[in-house]
Amino acid sequence: MVSSLTLFQATIILYSMGALLALLLRGRKYSNLLTYLLPAAASLFAIVLSANVIFAKDALHISITRDALAQFGFDVFIDGISAFFILLIGLVSLAVSLYSVGYTKEYEGRKDTSILGFLFNIFILSMLLVVVSNSVFAFLVFWEVMSLTSFFLVIYEHEQEANLKSGMTYIVMTHLGTTFILASFLVMYLQTGSFSFDAFRQYVPFIPLQVKDIVFILAFIGFGTKAGIVPLHIWLPQAHPSAPSNASALMSAVMIKTAIYGLIRVLFDFNSVGSPDYTWWGILLLSTGAITSVIGALYAVIEKDIKRALAFSSIENIGIILTGLGLSVIFASFNLTALAVLALVASMYHTLNHAVFKSLLFMGAGSILYATHTKNMEAMGGLVRKMPWTSLLFLVGALSISGLPPFNGFISEWLTMQSLLSTSQIPDSTLQITIAFASLAFALTAGLAAAAFVKIFGISFLSRGRSEHVLHAVEVPRSMLIGKGVTALAALALGVLPFIGINLITSAFNIQSAQPASPFDTITLQNASGSNFASLSPFTVVVLLASVAAASYGFVRVVGGPTRQVVYETWDCGFGGLDERMEYTATSFSQPIRKIFKAFFRPRNSIQREFYADSNQYKRKTIRMESTTRSLFEERLYTPVVSATIFLFDKIRRIQTGKVNSYLLYILITLVLLLVLVRLSP
Amino acid sequence: MFEPSFATLAAGIIQTLVLIAFSPLLTGVMRKVKARSQKRIGASILQPYYDIVKLMRKDEVISDQTSWIFKSAPWINFAAVATAALFVPVMLAYSPFGLAGDVLLVIGLFSLARFFTVLSGLDSASAFGGLGSSREMMLSSLIEPALFLTIFTVSLTFGATNITTLVSSAAGLQQLVTPSLLFALISMFVIVIAETGRLPFDNPATHLELTMVHEAMVLEYSGKLLALIEWAQSIKHLTLLALMINIFFPWGVATSLSAAAVGEGLLVFAAKALAIGVIIAFIETRVAKWRLFRIPDLIAIAIASSMVGIVFFYI
Repeated sequence: MVSSLTLFQATIILYSMGALLALLLRGRKYSNLLTYLLPAAASLFAIVLSANVIFAKDALHISITRDALAQFGFDVFIDGISAFFILLIGLVSLAVSLYSVGYTKEYEGRKDTSILGFLFNIFILSMLLVVVSNSVFAFLVFWEVMSLTSFFLVIYEHEQEANLKSGMTYIVMTHLGTTFILASFLVMYLQTGSFSFDAFRQYVPFIPLQVKDIVFILAFIGFGTKAGIVPLHIWLPQAHPSAPSNASALMSAVMIKTAIYGLIRVLFDFNSVGSPDYTWWGILLLSTGAITSVIGALYAVIEKDIKRALAFSSIENIGIILTGLGLSVIFASFNLTALAVLALVASMYHTLNHAVFKSLLFMGAGSILYATHTKNMEAMGGLVRKMPWTSLLFLVGALSISGLPPFNGFISEWLTMQSLLSTSQIPDSTLQITIAFASLAFALTAGLAAAAFVKIFGISFLSRGRSEHVLHAVEVPRSMLIGKGVTALAALALGVLPFIGINLITSAFNIQSAQPASPFDTITLQNASGSNFASLSPFTVVVLLASVAAASYGFVRVVGGPTRQVVYETWDCGFGGLDERMEYTATSFSQPIRKIFKAFFRPRNSIQREFYADSNQYKRKTIRMESTTRSLFEERLYTPVVSATIFLFDKIRRIQTGKVNSYLLYILITLVLLLVLVRLSP
Repeated sequence: MFEPSFATLAAGIIQTLVLIAFSPLLTGVMRKVKARSQKRIGASILQPYYDIVKLMRKDEVISDQTSWIFKSAPWINFAAVATAALFVPVMLAYSPFGLAGDVLLVIGLFSLARFFTVLSGLDSASAFGGLGSSREMMLSSLIEPALFLTIFTVSLTFGATNITTLVSSAAGLQQLVTPSLLFALISMFVIVIAETGRLPFDNPATHLELTMVHEAMVLEYSGKLLALIEWAQSIKHLTLLALMINIFFPWGVATSLSAAAVGEGLLVFAAKALAIGVIIAFIETRVAKWRLFRIPDLIAIAIASSMVGIVFFYI
């Protein structure tokens, strides 16, 4: 058997080679192929590595510490938790690398693709190194490399003004987050006297509770910014759509998960949240998750830019993941271990699922972009006939993310719902009612997400084409289909055979749960009195669905006889001339929802009419309608903060007169003050 | 109670076949009641069967704008709804596939059916289809949370989402009614009306663009595919009624597999389903279709009612 160390080295070397060759072979014949096949191979090694750590329990611990720099050592530690996230990275980057072989043709002749290949490889490598780092220094360095490479990917198409603006928002927000993470680690350093995660694990039980609370709050804000929790989410819908689609797939599917990784380290590894003192951590996570998911879903429904809609849906899914995580912490704080395990499995299953279907959907959106050169859903339509395979794979992604059986989204949403339903065992009725409200948010999210994805699939792929963009669209190259196919298969497998995911998670997190070990077992949950609370066997459901479908086909065939189909045009009420201007658009599809939630969206409709004659207002020459929605967060939160900051610094700037005399005066004043302070202090 | 055996499995499948076979009858009875209370004679109560058979023998007209989604959606719709019916008890306090799926799976299968129906509405490139799909998604994105919260209340009370456990503990409940269940029932009743597209949410008997929701989505269908859609709609209606009856009014449901108990269960179920069907039909003659944007208020009442139910359960 190959040791974890060899696999780890091979992975790193292959990603680095991919990055180097991208630069060295710039413009050569096979450079594109090499640039992306090397990371694909590396991803395979990463997947084997994680399997090795999770199932063969071959954890890896490397210490590259030198005496002089003992505090700044690059410690590598791959335990089950790291391995789980390595698997995520490996799986997604395998699919996305294959996809990129074709996708980069979009930029050929127009942009320098070697830079893209270089950044792509470094980006994946940095994410991988983030989740294996075992010291503050290494973690932050790779975290920063990850943020910077993704920043450069966001502004890859810097010719467009909008992309530069999104890049700017992204880099400001991500550094705000990093500041909080750094602060959190520094507080830990002050308490433990070490920058090593090993020391954190060892000494955390001796840290006073208030300090732990501070550490948690700082880490939550820091990692939350990266994850895109509301209201720190504003960078996400700007940055993810701006990046090239293969990079957006990685950012949405994996990068925001590194923040979840960070939270899990803080919650379950550094701390063990086994007493009621930690309940409010769980409540914080749960309520943030609930709010984040509803708001993400609401924005996803009304969005008409396909990649922005997917980005908002990532925010929504982070909310669902945090809901599960929060419940897990709440249950753990009441020592309800079995339920804490259930909620953690739900949350991690959703993390895995989201990585799978969100990369699939972003690759699908990239394929549309590749074929039609537009991200605007209003300009699409009818693509199901031009791009049959892409549409089928995108449909799989849409069904999965809407949480419909028999796809993987259903399993994790089912598990999350079961965790929400298990709250009757918590001995605190205020908390139970709070969780009931979180369930309301969760249920609303599920309904809205389905609406969002019906819209995204229906408007972009079905009915007539709405603009000339789609006239010449053709199916994308095979490599792009393979990339999507890998994730679509994973989505189906995780949906039909959930024992794969559940076993993976329970071994990775080293938790005991009485869950299925074989493909045909059912997931069974017991209630307090020992009878069957709920059980689910998706495999049986699929068999039943297939048999019912076959039986009904037979019945209809016997009763109705053979069918003769006549192809004719769509019913147009006899007026004739039904065209694409009359069909529903993305905006009109979501109009009812926009109207119901108008308190939130604040839609503004401006209608300008021009008449042939003012005396007769029934005959209009032209009519123009514009409907805009406002972002409450930018308006109410960010704009005031930004203008207050600018105002404050404007005032402070006055003391910088530029005259040496005044600076000397400042020095004198400071000196006097310091002397007074020294004299006064005991 | 029920041990998993060949006999119980067979009985369970038979009860689903009963549900599927008799669902058009309920539709027919409801139409008859509606007609009589409007002083019309109305069609025979078997008319829905004649319609389904006639439609199955007819040719189909398919729009030239459609794709495979349009042709497969009715099949997926029917299969998903009929599979959901397999999990719902009718006259036995037992769901034969209760180990394979619970009440959340039933909701999930209904959502799957709806997902494809809505897509088929968009597929035909007709303005009607888009209109119906858009409205349907608006309603369902609110009905789904209401339904989930009702299930939440019920499963808190009976300690399960597994339908067998749910119905057996409902049948064994000593109290006639608890406050939380009462509020859940109010919510469930609104949901049953809304999910099956009856007045005041949607009028199944109209083809007027101002009002239609479900009919607009399926306007392009004809022949076998239309028959499947109509039948699936009836099955969905009866399945939801069966769920409501067996959770809230489980009296008389068969708790053993003897012929007498099963026969009694079947008769009692038929009586209860008819009673509720008649009530719904009667309500339909008394109310007008509501303006589309007033409907969310009604669903909001359902959501609030089940939230109150949850609060009552905890305090």
